[in-house]
Amino acid sequence: MSEAGDAKEPTETLILPAEITDEMIEHCRAGRPNEACGILASQDGGMVKVFRMTNATLSPLRYSLDPKEQFAVYRAIEGRGWELGAVFHSHTHTEAYPSPTDVRLASEDVPYLIVSLADEPPSVRAFRILKANWTDQEGEIKEVSVSVLR
Amino acid sequence: MAVEVRIPTVFRKFTGGSGAVEVQPGTVGSLFEQLETRYPDLRGQVRTPDGQLHRFVNVYVNDEDARYLEKLETKVTEGDTVSILPSVAGGQA
Ligand SMILES: [Zn+2]
Repeated sequence: MSEAGDAKEPTETLILPAEITDEMIEHCRAGRPNEACGILASQDGGMVKVFRMTNATLSPLRYSLDPKEQFAVYRAIEGRGWELGAVFHSHTHTEAYPSPTDVRLASEDVPYLIVSLADEPPSVRAFRILKANWTDQEGEIKEVSVSVLR
Repeated sequence: MAVEVRIPTVFRKFTGGSGAVEVQPGTVGSLFEQLETRYPDLRGQVRTPDGQLHRFVNVYVNDEDARYLEKLETKVTEGDTVSILPSVAGGQA
């Protein structure tokens, strides 16, 4: 089971501009009752753009990026000289902490941001999921500090 | 001119950090052979041990999903771009 106490202490900080944070939260609210998801693009380590994406699973408990939309977003990111900065999704009723499903399905080697709509205002936390092999069912959860610039 | 393969972040630890790698034209399968020869740790990551495309991996040849082309037999010619994408998914339950 994942408990908040299991996470390794953060050694990395993700700096989020206020407008990026607000847009991400807005997209998560708009997606209710389903989970919402998206991608943040980065440039020189700073987050520069929110890509609001479709939850192809259309579920309050699950999310998945639509591969075609994901491909288009990756191309847009590359086209502008940006990089994949983070993946984000919402938890509609649970804390902002990776579920066993989040760990099992984690793939990209970037921070995974979770927006919990169970809190008001919503809480935003970030984690890296460390797995020996990306298809492993289990992994180590390492929290990334989130610093919102307001 | 070669073929450019776009490598997602999840596999860059196997390519020395490179997000784009050049290979010679052929089929999608032959591109993966070239990548796995150059980066042996990539073996088993994009393709399963029996040589099939991993079910959590999507491959695009230019703008087309290789699953709707001829999969690993899809021909790739000079100047084409092949993109490897891992599924991105999760959920609270
Ligand atoms: Zn989740």
